[in-house]
Amino acid sequence: MEWEQLDLNPRIITAVKKANFRSAKEILCVSGPDLQRLTRLSKTDVQRLHYAVAATVRKSKPVTALQLFQGECPVLEAGHRLSFACPILDGLMRGGLPLRGITELAGESAAGKTQFCLQLCLSVQYPQENGGLNSGAVYICTEDSFPIKRLRQLITQQPRLRPDLPPALIRSRRFSDNIYIEHAADLEALQACVSQRVPVLLKRGLVRLLVVDSVAALFRSEFQADEAIERSRHLLAFSNRLHHLSHEYGAPVVCVNQVTDVVDGPNQGRCDYGLVGSKVLPALGIAWANQVMVRLMLRRLTGQVQSDNRSSAPRKLEVVFAPHLPRASCLCGVWEEGVRGIPDDHSDLQQGSS
Amino acid sequence: MHRTVPSLPLAPSVKVKLINAGFQVASDLTDMRPLQLCKEAGISQEEAVEVLQMLRDDGQPHQQRAATESLTALDLLHQEQAQGSIVTFCSALDDTLGGGVSVGKTTEICGAPGVGKTQLCMQLAVDVQIPVCFGGLGGKALYIDTEGSFLVQRVADMANAAVQHCTLLAEDTEQRQALEELTVEKILSNLFLVRCHDYVELLAEVYLLPDFLSEHPEVRLVVIDSIAFPFRHDFEDLSQRTRLLNGLAQQLIQLATQHSIAVVLTNQMTTRVSNGQSKLVPALGESWGHAATQRLILHWEGLRRLASLYKSPSQMEATIQYQITVQGFRDSPDEPRPVPDVSAVSSQSGNHSKRPRMEDLS
Repeated sequence: MEWEQLDLNPRIITAVKKANFRSAKEILCVSGPDLQRLTRLSKTDVQRLHYAVAATVRKSKPVTALQLFQGECPVLEAGHRLSFACPILDGLMRGGLPLRGITELAGESAAGKTQFCLQLCLSVQYPQENGGLNSGAVYICTEDSFPIKRLRQLITQQPRLRPDLPPALIRSRRFSDNIYIEHAADLEALQACVSQRVPVLLKRGLVRLLVVDSVAALFRSEFQADEAIERSRHLLAFSNRLHHLSHEYGAPVVCVNQVTDVVDGPNQGRCDYGLVGSKVLPALGIAWANQVMVRLMLRRLTGQVQSDNRSSAPRKLEVVFAPHLPRASCLCGVWEEGVRGIPDDHSDLQQGSS
Repeated sequence: MHRTVPSLPLAPSVKVKLINAGFQVASDLTDMRPLQLCKEAGISQEEAVEVLQMLRDDGQPHQQRAATESLTALDLLHQEQAQGSIVTFCSALDDTLGGGVSVGKTTEICGAPGVGKTQLCMQLAVDVQIPVCFGGLGGKALYIDTEGSFLVQRVADMANAAVQHCTLLAEDTEQRQALEELTVEKILSNLFLVRCHDYVELLAEVYLLPDFLSEHPEVRLVVIDSIAFPFRHDFEDLSQRTRLLNGLAQQLIQLATQHSIAVVLTNQMTTRVSNGQSKLVPALGESWGHAATQRLILHWEGLRRLASLYKSPSQMEATIQYQITVQGFRDSPDEPRPVPDVSAVSSQSGNHSKRPRMEDLS
């Protein structure tokens, strides 16, 4: 830290250097009286010092919400979202995924979480006016190998999923080239991937979507039941890394999560987020939930849904919590071309218990 | 002048030397010349000049200050009543808080993810701007966002709903005039946002607050959402964390009283295992529990969202129900009256040392 660049009396700067302070962080983490003692400066001098150092740490001055609303601060509020490529799903999410923050998609196996993620990996590659971010995606697999055949199928069926887009636009996208697939077999590999390789891709602008499928797998398998604190620590470090990357590059982060069974009734020690009567809750507990900005749950329902003489098991996509969304849900089906929402007035649906 | 040397605003080493040389009271120093002081106390000439300069500047105003500094309790009561409070638009919660979130105090809002802490904060940031003729404070707000959950789309919804609400209430000409100026754009323009990405940036922001508040004297609310997020990882030394948090709490309460603002902090919940049972408790440790003047805990009970006033110097503990609608933070249609539910609150937070308060509903 170059102390000379601070707008302070040279006397204060000398005192700071003599007391061996090296960085702004060190100054800010010491209280007023302690600084007085260490630097032998007076109270007003210390106040001036704190103020000058704080001014260098602050990245940007306060802006008004009106400036955000009018799109004058793209760093804080992009003004657009990442589309799901389906108007009904986008409607549920008021436009799509927020560009900054962690979105979690939790659900049982075979609910369709990976399908959603694959669809997002394709949607992100379209230009901004078509709901994408004009960039690629990083897909980190921790459970199974990457479903490459399904991705190829989705790519060939894109015109069917996006009839609103000109075919030439779809043909011009080189989808497979822009999806970077990583496999992480253990926590160390996952941390290495997120600390080293992913930031490089983000910095170069090659990707603007990060998918972790799934976050639960490694954290649940590598820690015993009594190592909860250890697991919490690793989980927090990991999510913090994701959070910083997301905010720095304006890249949505989607984390797939597993669910745990709810065996007892309502439990005071466990938060169930108002999901009364649900037999499953998202895994990894409240430590992880505190890091998530948007929590979505996907449930597979019994019955069948029809579309163009094809049938699919219906799914319910529910918003559990989000700062800008009400608790709502919508039905969707998984087809050859991808996931599409089902309008409410669908009469073919025979719903069983969820 | 009877001011003692240790209480003077000087560097500690200078004070020590003066005391060791026998100077106990400020009046001992007034007749000294710099060179004399220098020799007797063993301080440098520069320091001696500074000491005498400070005493000369300090002389008159200090005596006047001493006379006006003591206030009677009645003065304080008038001051407190004049401060006002910020409504939450949930009348049950406002009643429990004694009118709303008090200005001049720090209020902490704890809760699990998704229960409504950020919603309440955004609501307060809108409500602080309600014009005085409608019963509000007509002030501005500063929102310090550490989690990135401030989405302006939602605030615009709430601002719109607040304007609609005031439009329905407008009766006399003064209110109608104020209403003409009260638009969604105006409300958004009076809400300042700062985003802090780690605890160092947050500490810096709080050091810069006095200046910001002096530049913007109409600010009546400062929200930190959340104070827990940047402090819950990255800390090997928990005692340093406690120290920093305590320092922050002290700075914030000082700002709240000096600048007449309401400070609202949000905190997360964590699981604590005791006697084989696990409970959800506010995060950041036991000592943080003493930091804020008032503590509100938001929690789920089945499908209902409840708010419990867990700690307050002036209000009774109570639990009320609320809901989050498209318009924002509102009363629940089910439970209109606040119920003083002392036993439910103390058992949920698991603090066995707290005696249930017996007070009559006056």
